[in-house]
Amino acid sequence: MWELLARSLEASTIFLFAALGELINQRAGVLNVGLEGLMLFGGTTAFITAQATGSYPLGFVAGLAIGGLLGLAHGFFSITLRGDQVVSGMGLWILSFGLTTYLGNPHTGPLGLGRIASFFGLSPFFVLGVALVGITWFLLFRTTQGLAIRSVGENPAAAEGSGISVTAVRYVCVLCGGVLAGLSGAAYTLSYNPVWNYNFLMGWGFVSLALVFFSMWNPWILLAGASLFGIMWQLSLSPELVLPGVLSRYVWRMVPFAITIPILSVISTPWFRRRWGLARPEALGRPYEKS
Amino acid sequence: MRLGRYDVTLEPRTTRPAFYSSLTAAGAILLALALASVLFLSAQTPLLEAYRAIFSYAFFNPNGLLATIHRSIYLLLCTYAFLVPLRAGLWNIGLPGQVYAGGVAAFAIPFVFRTQEAQTLSLPPVLLILLMVASAAAAGAVVGGFAGILRARFQVSEILVTMMLNSILFWLVAYMIKEGGPFMSPRGEGESFALPPALHAPLLWGVPFTAVLALGAAVFLDILFAKTPLGYRIRAFGQSPAAARYGGIIPLALSLLVFLLGGGFAGLAGYHYFAALPGVYKISGNYGYYGDLSFYGIISALIARGSSLGAVPIAVLFAGLSLGARFAQGELRLPFGVDYALLGLLMMTFVASHVLYQFRVAWRRVPSLALRHAPTQLPPG
Repeated sequence: MWELLARSLEASTIFLFAALGELINQRAGVLNVGLEGLMLFGGTTAFITAQATGSYPLGFVAGLAIGGLLGLAHGFFSITLRGDQVVSGMGLWILSFGLTTYLGNPHTGPLGLGRIASFFGLSPFFVLGVALVGITWFLLFRTTQGLAIRSVGENPAAAEGSGISVTAVRYVCVLCGGVLAGLSGAAYTLSYNPVWNYNFLMGWGFVSLALVFFSMWNPWILLAGASLFGIMWQLSLSPELVLPGVLSRYVWRMVPFAITIPILSVISTPWFRRRWGLARPEALGRPYEKS
Repeated sequence: MRLGRYDVTLEPRTTRPAFYSSLTAAGAILLALALASVLFLSAQTPLLEAYRAIFSYAFFNPNGLLATIHRSIYLLLCTYAFLVPLRAGLWNIGLPGQVYAGGVAAFAIPFVFRTQEAQTLSLPPVLLILLMVASAAAAGAVVGGFAGILRARFQVSEILVTMMLNSILFWLVAYMIKEGGPFMSPRGEGESFALPPALHAPLLWGVPFTAVLALGAAVFLDILFAKTPLGYRIRAFGQSPAAARYGGIIPLALSLLVFLLGGGFAGLAGYHYFAALPGVYKISGNYGYYGDLSFYGIISALIARGSSLGAVPIAVLFAGLSLGARFAQGELRLPFGVDYALLGLLMMTFVASHVLYQFRVAWRRVPSLALRHAPTQLPPG
């Protein structure tokens, strides 16, 4: 049972890293729907680098770097060029989906390095994830810089008026978001499931994106949501542990996605928005034009 | 931004002539092909030979040409599935899911009427084929419409919902055709039962009749958007939902309608690929590949800038490129996935061309007087 729980928490870390990055992005008013693409690229680059050099740290550095670069690319399009953020995000996703399938294919198969050490079966990344949640919360809600980020996401014109550079804050946030998405991909291919496969994420990135909406842009709720989804995901992979012989395993694989849709609908209702959802950044997805 | 004596800024374009759309489209495609050379060079393949292999197989080899036509029909139907909601400003990235739904619904008809094994048909084959087409379109429309209604009623992001539906339907097909699922072939090879020959889609000059649907839809959609009040409403809603609401357009009905229509086209694409292609006539074990291919539909709709007639040559070109890339890959021993890489490159060059489409780069010479430093001190003496 502990093994299953530890494994679930490791799965939830993947959701957590990516979603935390997206949360920071969105708090600054930038929507990146291409999260899955950043994760795919980060994961694939980390995998190839680690396999080629035999070094985990180098793999992580490569994954984080490529995630950051793609985050900046999204930033350039959506902040500097003030383009449509959905177009750019979707572009990043399909670009990464196509290119990583090509680049990673010769590396299909296991990583072939020793597994990363764990504390009594619990992945060190989960600890890192909880720490990052704490840091993000403190940064966003207890520091001047956090106030700057939130104000840029709510009302960029007013923020600019009070002496904050909207462009600079948004760039820093998309960089953080990209790096965290890269970390999430790298944690997947180097630790959670060190086997490269074509399109290995199969929708994790989009679930992470949905988690940000569930979390009402609060890191602690995000942590709880990611943990729940991690457990659900792990159970859907091995349903025989709970309900042996009930329904096909393929039906269980649909469950996490099927649950996401009604939750998304409930949190989008006017009733819920009035009651809880006021945290949605006001300027989310809207480019800012300095006047 | 200051470059030497020039001030360079991006300014939104006020007019976008039609020829400019074609120019950016052609530019994006050519640039993607040029970038693909990097892949060939890194695999140490002679460039000209690689392009020659791709194009000669796709457009000049009799087998390849036929396959290109078949795939063009599929990609065109996928293109419309994305294009119709796009005109209303909505993103239907649920093409794979709607394609799978169409395939499963088409095969449900012979399954329900118990015609998959026995050669005796309970209904005339023409009627059964019509039923298959209708049920495929209806299933795609239901899956699409579900996302549309959630979007319209609760403002749920259609991107997330359609993506979740993709995963759900992917596993649904796996359930149906694998490990003793209801549609599994009697030989049990992880694929569906084969359609009896009587239910194969009729061919016109060696091409399934779905070609007529695909080309007819191009004309139909063009007229719909250019000449009818409904098309006008969809476009107005896409440009500005708030303004459209003041104009008396009902967002709920419109979002639902575009997704129903889009999903219907994707369902037809599923019918075409699994039930109308000569040599297939079953849901094969690698159905996921066709789901991935449908993303080419997204790009061709985007590059055609929402024009259904403009999408026809683009979809044909993409069909040929994706097929030729697969062929060249085997011929020249390239790594797997050239067609996927091309998909990614096309998306990247589209985003770049989109910037040039929306903005123009304005160069203004900074007056030279402003550059010269004014003397701060009086000259000596």
